[in-house]
Amino acid sequence: MKKIAVFGYNNLSYEAISRLDQKSHDVLIIETDLSLRKSAEEKGFKTKDIDFRSDCGLKSIGIGHTIDVIFCFLLEDSSNVFLTLSARAIDKNIDIIAIAGSAQSAEKLIAAGANKIIDPYQICGQKIHELIKKPDITNIIDHTVFGRDDLHIAEVAIPTGSYLENTYSSTLSLNERHNLVLIGIVDKELGDNLHFAIGEKDHKLDAGDIIVVLGPSREINAFKQEVTNV
Amino acid sequence: MFAKPLVYFAYLLKTSAYYQQGKQFFYNLLENPQSKIKSYFDVFMICLVMLSVFFLVYSVEHELNNTGEFFEQCVVSVFISEYLLRAWLYSDSHLIIIKEYERAEYLNTPFSVLKTLKKVFGKKLEYMLSLFAIIDLLAILPSYRPLRILRILLIFRLFKLFRYSNSIKVFADVLSSKRFELITLAIFMGFLVFISTIAIYLFENNSSGGNVRHLYDAFYWSIVTISTVGYGDITPVTFGGRLVTVALILTGLGVLSFFTSIIVSAFNEKMYTLRENRTYAELSRFDNFIIICGFGRVGQEIAKNFEKDQQPFIVIDTDENNILLAKEKNYLYIQDDASKNSVLTNAGINSGASSVICATGNDVANVYITLTSRFLNPEVNIIARSNRDDNVKKLYQAGANNVIQPFEISGLLAAEYVGQPVAFEAILGILQEQKQILMEALIVYPNSLIENKRIEEIDFKNRKLTLVGVISSNKLHSKRRNRYKVKNQHFYFNPENHFELQAQDMIIILGRKYSIEHFQDQLEKSRLSSGNKS
Repeated sequence: MKKIAVFGYNNLSYEAISRLDQKSHDVLIIETDLSLRKSAEEKGFKTKDIDFRSDCGLKSIGIGHTIDVIFCFLLEDSSNVFLTLSARAIDKNIDIIAIAGSAQSAEKLIAAGANKIIDPYQICGQKIHELIKKPDITNIIDHTVFGRDDLHIAEVAIPTGSYLENTYSSTLSLNERHNLVLIGIVDKELGDNLHFAIGEKDHKLDAGDIIVVLGPSREINAFKQEVTNV
Repeated sequence: MFAKPLVYFAYLLKTSAYYQQGKQFFYNLLENPQSKIKSYFDVFMICLVMLSVFFLVYSVEHELNNTGEFFEQCVVSVFISEYLLRAWLYSDSHLIIIKEYERAEYLNTPFSVLKTLKKVFGKKLEYMLSLFAIIDLLAILPSYRPLRILRILLIFRLFKLFRYSNSIKVFADVLSSKRFELITLAIFMGFLVFISTIAIYLFENNSSGGNVRHLYDAFYWSIVTISTVGYGDITPVTFGGRLVTVALILTGLGVLSFFTSIIVSAFNEKMYTLRENRTYAELSRFDNFIIICGFGRVGQEIAKNFEKDQQPFIVIDTDENNILLAKEKNYLYIQDDASKNSVLTNAGINSGASSVICATGNDVANVYITLTSRFLNPEVNIIARSNRDDNVKKLYQAGANNVIQPFEISGLLAAEYVGQPVAFEAILGILQEQKQILMEALIVYPNSLIENKRIEEIDFKNRKLTLVGVISSNKLHSKRRNRYKVKNQHFYFNPENHFELQAQDMIIILGRKYSIEHFQDQLEKSRLSSGNKS
C-alpha cells in the first residue's frame, strides 16, 4: 500500500484524493486550518496539523520512513517550493508532486527536487484551446481519460513468466482479442520512455516492460489478470 | 386626394423586400461602421477627393482638357449621388407617413398630407443642415458653372476626408469635446486682441511717432505678438507701446500654454477611444475569431496557443496589469468589463466571433459573462471555466456549451501519476501533443477512399496509424458494440473489422503528425478526383 501525504486541503487535493484507489493508497491530509480539516474528516479522510516548515514535523508524519509520495498542494508557490526542498532533503527517494501557479514557479519546484509539476492553469488553458481546435477529440478524451464513461487508459506491467514474455508487440492484437486499443509500450531495453504504438517499431516484450492500453475497465482487468497469471 | 396614393406607396415600400434590401445595401456602403464594403468605399472616396483636388491645383496654371473635364463631371456625379443617398438614408420617410396615418386613424382625425410632408421634409432638412451635409454640398456647388466664383470652395472637398477617415473624425471629436474650454479661450483671446489692438494703436499711431498706420496694422501686430511669432515688421517705439508689448507677450505665452494643455488633455482622454477604434478595425478583418474574457494565467495560456495556431482572438479584461501584458504581446484587447452587453457587442459577438471563452478566476463573473453572451448570441460557442464543482451546473444553465474545471483535471492527473505514471505520460503526451503524436478526428467525406469500406480494408497499420474509434450519428451503426454517447452522437470504441464506414462518420486515429496529414491528403485527393469524374 502506498502512503501519501497531501499538504493542503482544497479543490485540487480533494479531486486528486477522490480519484485515488482508496484500497491501495493510504492518504493523510496535512492542513493547518481547523474548518478545512473538519471538512476533510467529514468526508472520511485522515488529517493532521503540523507545521510544514519544521523538519521535525515532517518526520513526525513519516517522511523519510513510511511516506512514499507527497502532494504539495499548498496555496502559495513559495510554500510548495519550501516544502519540496525540505522533503527532498529528508528523503532522496520520495515522490514529490507539486502544483505551480506560474511557469517560473515550475522551474523553481523542479530545481527544489519535485518529480512532477502540475500547473492547473496551463492544463486548463490547453484543454480550452483543444476544445476549440478539436472539439470531437476533446470530448473523446473527456469520456475516456477523464473517466466520464467506462473507458480508461491503464498500464499493465509484464511480470516474469508472463505469457507475453518474448512475444512481439505486433502479435498482441489487443483490439481483436481483448477489445482494447494499444496506446504505447515502455520497452525497458530502450529505456524508460513511452513509445506510442503507431506501427513504427515492433517491440520485443520482456518482463518489466509496461503496456499502456485504452478500453473498458472490465476488459482491462481481464487483460491484467491474464498477463499477471504466471 | 393625394392621401390615399401616398399612404399606399408608403405601405408598399414598407413591405417591399427589394426596397429594404436596397436601403440596407446603401446603409452598409455609406454608414455602417461594421461593414466591409464601407471601408472599400471610404478608400475609393479618399482617392477620388485627392484626385479632384489634384486637378484643381493643376488647373491653376494649366487649361484642363476634355479628359480632365470629364473626370470632374464624374467626380461631381459621384458626390451628388452620395449626397442624395445619404439624405435618403438619414430618415425613413415612408415610416413617418405610416405613423402619421395610423395616428390619425386611431384618433379618428383627418390625415393631413401637408403636415405629414412637412415632417418628412423637416427630417431631410435636419440632415441638410448637419455639418457633414453642408461640407458635402459646398464640395459640389462650385462645379456649377454660374457659381464658378465659388471655385475656392472646392477646398471643402478636402474636408470631405473627415467622413472617410476614422482618425480625422476622432481629431474633430477631440476638438469638439473641449468646445467649452476652447470657446472660453477664444473669447479671452478675442478680448485680449481687442484691448491690445486699441492700446497699440493709441500709443503707436503715426501721429504719436509710431509705426502703426491704421487699426488693421494694430490688429495684425497684436496677432503676430500674441502668437509669439513676432515678425518684427512693426515694432513699438514709444514707452507705452513697449509696455503693451511686454504685457501681450507674457499673456500670449499663457494663452498658448493653456491652448496646448487643452489639446493634450483632450487627446489623453480620447487615447483609449483611439486605441479601441484600432482594435475594432483590426477585428472587422476577421470572420472567425475568439473572444477571451479574462487574461489571467488561463487566458494567457489559451492566447499563447491561439497565437501559435494563428487563430485570431481578442482579450477582454479589466485588470490593468493583465492588459499591460496583452499589450506587450501585441494582442488585440479591450480593457473593460466583459459582462457588459456593449463590450461584448463591440468585441464582435454578433459580427464574426465564433466562440467566447469565460476564463476569469471568478465563477460569478464567468456565469454572468456566459449569460450575457448567450443572451446576445444564441448560436455562439461558449466555453467557461469553473473553479468549484457546484458551479458547473450553473454555467451550463447559463448557456455554456462546455465547462472546464482546472482543479478537476489537475487532480485527476496527480492521482493518475501516483497510480499509473506511464499512463499519465501517455495522457499528457496526447493532451500536449508531445513528440508530434496526435489524436485526430478525420471526417469520412462522401466519395472518399474510405467511404463504405470495412475497417479491415483500410490498412491503418501500414499507414502508421492506430484506430481508436469512430464517431457517428448514423443509425446503420446503432446495433454495434462498444457504443458510448458523446453529445448528440455515438462514439464506437475499437470498432470490429467488419464495421463499415459511412459518409460523415468521423474516425479517431492516433499517430504522428506526418502520417495523419498524409492520410488526410489522400482522403481529400480521393474525394476530389471522384468528384471530378462524376
